[in-house]
Amino acid sequence: MTSSITSLTRESGWRDFVRQSVNQLLRNPLVVSGLIVIAAWVVLAVVAAIIAPYDPLAQNVNVRLTAPNDVYPFGTDELGRDVFSRVLYGARVTMPAGIAVVVIGSVIGTIVGGVAGYLGGLWDEALMRITELFMAFPTIILALAITAALGPDIRNAIIALVVVWWPPYARLVRGLVLEVKTQEYVTAVKSVGAHGFYTLFRTIIPNCIAPAVILATLDIGTAILTFAGLSFLGLGADPSSPEWGRMVSIGIDFFSQWWMWLFPGLAIASLVLAFNFLGDGLRDLLDPRMRKR
Amino acid sequence: MSFQLYLLRRILFVIPVCLGITLFAFVIANAVPADPITANLPQSALNNEEIIAAFRARWGLDQPPHIQYLTYLGNLLQGDLGTSIKTRNPVAEDIGKFLPATIELATVGIVFGIVFGVAFGVISAIWRNTLADYLVRILSLLGVSFPVFVLALVGLTVLHAQWRWVPGPGRLGVLLDDPPFVTGLFLIDSLLAGEYETFRDALSRLILPGLVLGLYVSGIIARITRSSLLNVLGLDYMRTARAKGLRERVTIWGHALPNALIPVVTVIGLSYSNLLSGAVLTESIFAWPGIGRYMFRASTSQDFPAIMGGSIVIALIYVGVNFVVDILYYFIDPRIRLA
Repeated sequence: MTSSITSLTRESGWRDFVRQSVNQLLRNPLVVSGLIVIAAWVVLAVVAAIIAPYDPLAQNVNVRLTAPNDVYPFGTDELGRDVFSRVLYGARVTMPAGIAVVVIGSVIGTIVGGVAGYLGGLWDEALMRITELFMAFPTIILALAITAALGPDIRNAIIALVVVWWPPYARLVRGLVLEVKTQEYVTAVKSVGAHGFYTLFRTIIPNCIAPAVILATLDIGTAILTFAGLSFLGLGADPSSPEWGRMVSIGIDFFSQWWMWLFPGLAIASLVLAFNFLGDGLRDLLDPRMRKR
Repeated sequence: MSFQLYLLRRILFVIPVCLGITLFAFVIANAVPADPITANLPQSALNNEEIIAAFRARWGLDQPPHIQYLTYLGNLLQGDLGTSIKTRNPVAEDIGKFLPATIELATVGIVFGIVFGVAFGVISAIWRNTLADYLVRILSLLGVSFPVFVLALVGLTVLHAQWRWVPGPGRLGVLLDDPPFVTGLFLIDSLLAGEYETFRDALSRLILPGLVLGLYVSGIIARITRSSLLNVLGLDYMRTARAKGLRERVTIWGHALPNALIPVVTVIGLSYSNLLSGAVLTESIFAWPGIGRYMFRASTSQDFPAIMGGSIVIALIYVGVNFVVDILYYFIDPRIRLA
């Protein structure tokens, strides 16, 4: 995939490329439905405080473990909290956490890969060997070890995931920088006296950014899924927090009260599926062999 | 490139990675502000000067960090991963006990994954842009989008609690004893001991967790199979095969699929190592006494010897499986052999 991305950046400016791609993407029904679901979740997250019928943290033991009914559309949990309100508020925790992991991870990866590709030589060797080392570690095990060291909470879970998330971006961007830095406009910028890091960050990296953005879009679904998984294991959000993965894990102890785990589970699945629809469309678009046939 | 040279290059690549993994685990465990003595020794041993002195000497704690690392590495090479604080057993022994359960589960999972994944991928590619293709694509996206732990819960509710098709969590029913330890894989050990009842129970308990893991990886395998097969189907030699009058079935199974399988093998290898390392979630739901659950327990109780030992072993398995895939590549892809 990387090579087709590279050729796209090389052949046309990335602004044109983005405009064409968006047009083409919007013709794909899966992409459009994915975008609608993502937009819906963003809106729900923003207006959660207005439309949630109950306080997501308010306990009411009199109605604990109520099955879904007119008053509690998604039922209540073991402390009598409204599952519907908690799922709504959960959009404010899980979705931003997943996006934060990808955004921070891709920025770090871009910087590492950019510096490695630009400086070359020993720097390149050293940085890339370190990157490969991080890639050799299985994601969830590394995240487990890091959260064990830092202590379980949302911020630390995000840190742990960022640590495992940046390497693919470093590799991608390094490859692109190696190509772009030999272009004539880079030589031109240097010849008028721009110094090293100005050239790298103002001239080279902006011309490498599109593929990294695409990889990030493909990645958000997985990041949300992994974050929810860490929370499910109790290594992310604390038990009272309306975090989707955490809600599912509490629901396990109340196995036959299916509404406790099914609704937050469906929330995760719908959001991840939406991002994967979007990503799938992007992938089809980027693979010219797929487009032809 | 000769096989020896290829092998040598792959091994030379793996050694620094392995060293790096141990260094990495060492740095993480030492980045914790906690005192290694209070973190590693049980409460009862903390008053005993002799135990503390022995512990210091064993791990070189009175030495500078780089010597400590070398001591750790030396102990590691002798199979000494330290002693778990939680189980009080040597970590290596614990891992030997829990790892087979994970291997058994991951293997059943990958078998399901390959069967469904390749079948779906082939169906989807052959009947491209038909209803079957769309169904398979949506199913495979669902497979990778649904959290494994939710899939497991749905499976337990429907297949176990409602329909009683499969037994509940655990490796064996409460009434059955573990088969005598030979490989640690219950399916094999029970057969070796002639305990068919145990074999039947162990097998039935592998179905649901294996299916859950299999569905998860089959999504990825199906996608790669589909796109790779589509690529091959459009190549000239496929037209030649059809032109010389071969039946469609022969062209697909005999000519297209073998050539399409190269990227699929990579993905299967990656998925298998992911299943081995990432079964934490499934194992915790199915009360599966595997390495993932062991690691998880260690991480919630700050059991650093177990976390370090576990992550090193898992990372080595991960590297090992990928190494095997690289070697397989040599045999599957003639371009590597002839390059």
